[in-house]
Amino acid sequence: MESNAGTTETRSNVTVPDGGEVAAFESLQFTDEIHRLISAPGTDNASSFTALLELPATQVVELLHSPESVKLIVASAPNVEDFKGSFHFPSNTGLIQKDARFSVFSGEGNNKNEKSNSPEMTSKNSSANLEKAVKSEPAETVSSLPLVSDPTMENRNIKRKDREKKVKGSTKKSKTATNERLEDAEKLPYVHVRARRGQATDSHSLAERARREKINARMKLLQELVPGCNKISGTALVLDEIINHVQSLQRQVEFLSMRLATVNPRIDFNLDSLFTPESGSTMDGGNFPSLVTPLIWPDVQVNGYRKQFQHQWHFDTLKQPIWGREEVCNNYVTLENSLLSCDSSANSATLHANQLKMEL
Amino acid sequence: MNNPHHLNPTSLKSRFTTRFLRALTKIRAQKPISSSSPTEIFRRYRRIKVAADKSMAYSVRSRRIWSRAMLWKLRSRSYRRQDPCSGRRSGKTNQAIMKKSSNENTTTRREDGVGFVEEADELRQLVPGGETMNLCNLLDETAHYIKCLTTQVQLFSPIGKG
Repeated sequence: MESNAGTTETRSNVTVPDGGEVAAFESLQFTDEIHRLISAPGTDNASSFTALLELPATQVVELLHSPESVKLIVASAPNVEDFKGSFHFPSNTGLIQKDARFSVFSGEGNNKNEKSNSPEMTSKNSSANLEKAVKSEPAETVSSLPLVSDPTMENRNIKRKDREKKVKGSTKKSKTATNERLEDAEKLPYVHVRARRGQATDSHSLAERARREKINARMKLLQELVPGCNKISGTALVLDEIINHVQSLQRQVEFLSMRLATVNPRIDFNLDSLFTPESGSTMDGGNFPSLVTPLIWPDVQVNGYRKQFQHQWHFDTLKQPIWGREEVCNNYVTLENSLLSCDSSANSATLHANQLKMEL
Repeated sequence: MNNPHHLNPTSLKSRFTTRFLRALTKIRAQKPISSSSPTEIFRRYRRIKVAADKSMAYSVRSRRIWSRAMLWKLRSRSYRRQDPCSGRRSGKTNQAIMKKSSNENTTTRREDGVGFVEEADELRQLVPGGETMNLCNLLDETAHYIKCLTTQVQLFSPIGKG
């Protein structure tokens, strides 16, 4: 099979998967295509080389099974006329299909094709830098848009190589790649994970890699949520930090609800202060003018309980100084709930409950 | 002059606020504060805490695993309190289900190929309903749970300051 692959270059670069049922198919078509390519006057050695690179199973199976779609793609792509002289069918379709998918590159296919070989050697070095673990290829095209044409070319070479590597995997993966290519660029039914250089490409490790990348993405989000996590490196420590944060938040909520239970019977929340805690005075008449109601609370023997709870509750991190500062009687909050008025008879509030609910 | 920070009536904050305030007023209406022994206060505290949890879970509805788990816990607790017979039944089924899931989890040990097993288990204990989540979902749920908890804290904290 490998002898049919033609030049030694191709043999080194293209390894037809052994034992796959598609492999036999490919080898037959390989001979046809290669003869055609070799006989036709090539614009470049590069073009035939890349064309041969394109030919591994995915392309060939495609060509076999759906020549009409290829023709359609050929017809639609503007690059057909660029390839003067020989009708490099496979190379055209390869690049055209890529161009059909990455419509950004449609105008530059010719240049890329000719220049493709020289950066290929360097691309191996730069592939490590330029590799992006992306889930969908259109996303990758969008992300590589601002790059100069050379890096984009290298990206394409990387994609080509990666497609080879994908081919080396199971035939199932190759079939998914072909299905993907036959479809529109935007609809990618399969999650695509880049097989990086030197990494295994069987389905298990690919799935695992996809999972790991998902987990890493979510860890990054969590790091942004939890303050002070950005500097920590190492996911175990970050997880510890997250755990501490969740615990402290839960304790805070407990503490504050305890305070709610003890402090006063008629806390009326100032909506403004609730949602903009930095706003200073609650006596601002402009918050909800219809709702501002002065409340004079009955003197509640809260101080005694407060001391008790100070003993019981030792929250170092939380708002202990507020205990001392707090003057229950002077809490002045605007009314939000009319239901609270039934609690006390000393309430002189004017209630606009319906307005309240509408505004909420 | 109006408040420049206009409230989004459908945001999590506003939903939680309305619900929680409603619950709070109900609690206040039930027991006037005049009778405030420490046990009473503690009982109120428990009720307020439950109300906070409940209103938060209801604000999130069933969109999140943790909120569903929390609602389930609350409902099973309330059933148990109302009717001991039915509570026993539901409690048993709930416990059986939870035990089964936790057994599965402990036996499978959730190695996942990443080395955060202890931390992940701790996190699972913290986040409600976390036992039944794989690491991926757990991180998702943790993020949302943190967001909700911070909302709660933000809403509660101006109480003392007035």
